[in-house]
Amino acid sequence: MDEDTDKALATHEQELRRGTVVFAGLVACRRPQYGYSLLTTLTEAGIPTEANTLYPLLRRLEKQGLLTAEWNTEQARPRKYYTVTESGAEVAAALHAHWLELNSSITTLWKDGTP
Amino acid sequence: MSALTDIYVDNVTRHLPEDTRPDIAAEITATIDDMVDDRLGEDANPSPDRSAAVEREVLEELGDPVVLSREYSNTPQHLIGPNSYPLFIWALRWALPIVGFIALIASFITTFATAPQTQLGAAIGPAVGNTVNALLTTFAVITIIIGLGDRQKDGGTTATLRGRKTRTWSIDDLDRRDYRSKQIRAEAALGLVFIAALATVPFIPTTLLYVGHLNRGGTFINPDLGLGWLIGYWAFLALMAAVEIIKFTTASAKPTVAIIGGIIDVAMAIFLTIALLTQPVLHPELTSTANADIQQIITAIAIWIITVWDQASTWRIYRRNRR
Repeated sequence: MDEDTDKALATHEQELRRGTVVFAGLVACRRPQYGYSLLTTLTEAGIPTEANTLYPLLRRLEKQGLLTAEWNTEQARPRKYYTVTESGAEVAAALHAHWLELNSSITTLWKDGTP
Repeated sequence: MSALTDIYVDNVTRHLPEDTRPDIAAEITATIDDMVDDRLGEDANPSPDRSAAVEREVLEELGDPVVLSREYSNTPQHLIGPNSYPLFIWALRWALPIVGFIALIASFITTFATAPQTQLGAAIGPAVGNTVNALLTTFAVITIIIGLGDRQKDGGTTATLRGRKTRTWSIDDLDRRDYRSKQIRAEAALGLVFIAALATVPFIPTTLLYVGHLNRGGTFINPDLGLGWLIGYWAFLALMAAVEIIKFTTASAKPTVAIIGGIIDVAMAIFLTIALLTQPVLHPELTSTANADIQQIITAIAIWIITVWDQASTWRIYRRNRR
């Protein structure tokens, strides 16, 4: 791949990843997660995300009522734990269904287009 | 928390609403501490140099605090958004030429009417200055109004003005009216209003523009001007009005109509130029100065600027409607 193709690929990969971070975040927050634990969970799951993208995103999801947040001050270091709400779980389930449909569609499309 | 982290967090939160600052500051601080601890690993007593290097690395990974702050704020970072931009450009295209032209002519007329000894060169400076001021003010007013509208409504000012509702668009919402016909009719109607206004010019008193003291409330036009010139003037306006009525009733911009309209406009400009250069057309008390001839010449130049401008816009509209 030449330099221009590499740049185009990087842009499209970023766009693809941006859409999946919300979905992945909601799925991962089915059990309480604080910011850094979510970051490492996603990285270990093969969805590396930048901290400066994830934290503002968590706040937006909280504002949308898809996540609930609570400070835990019992530990040595106070941490804000995020957990998926009922509506967040519904959104995550719907996104999961879409994801599976998309995966199936793309696989079919790929097979049909392969000479 | 080190002083460096403290400064970094302060840099992020200083751009955010005050009520959200403590919460976001605590969360970012906890994250930085977690990231630093994770990188230091099992080393319970790292050297100050290593701690400082890791902290620096973590902060650099989090990136520019202004960018991080922008991510948190989640508010528009532009003045005129894409939804309001078409309206913004449309407003500028219409308002700036009109305001600029009016400011230029008004400045010249006011200068010569209030200071009769002024030379043409000395009038150019204030005229340019006043015009630039008027253009900048117009630009600022349009930008502020549309910018504020953009912040009030999700869909931008354009959507607000169109009264668009936040519901799904259906094919029934399609504007089926013939846009070009409608536009030709609107322009023709505007032209008729303008012609009617021009027809009243010989009767307009100076008091209407607050300069009645110059000729005791007389008209702008010389009352002793021969009736023939006035009849000629109104006859040309009648021809121009006929062209606009044809455009309005047929709702089409045929080239023959456009060419006839152009010929009448140019003939009218020649007629007015001859009138201005052969006799005092403006009221003698407005022009009874050493600069009377210059005032008449400026008026003639203004007439030709309007004529050329009109021809250019007619040709542009014709080409647009032909597509």
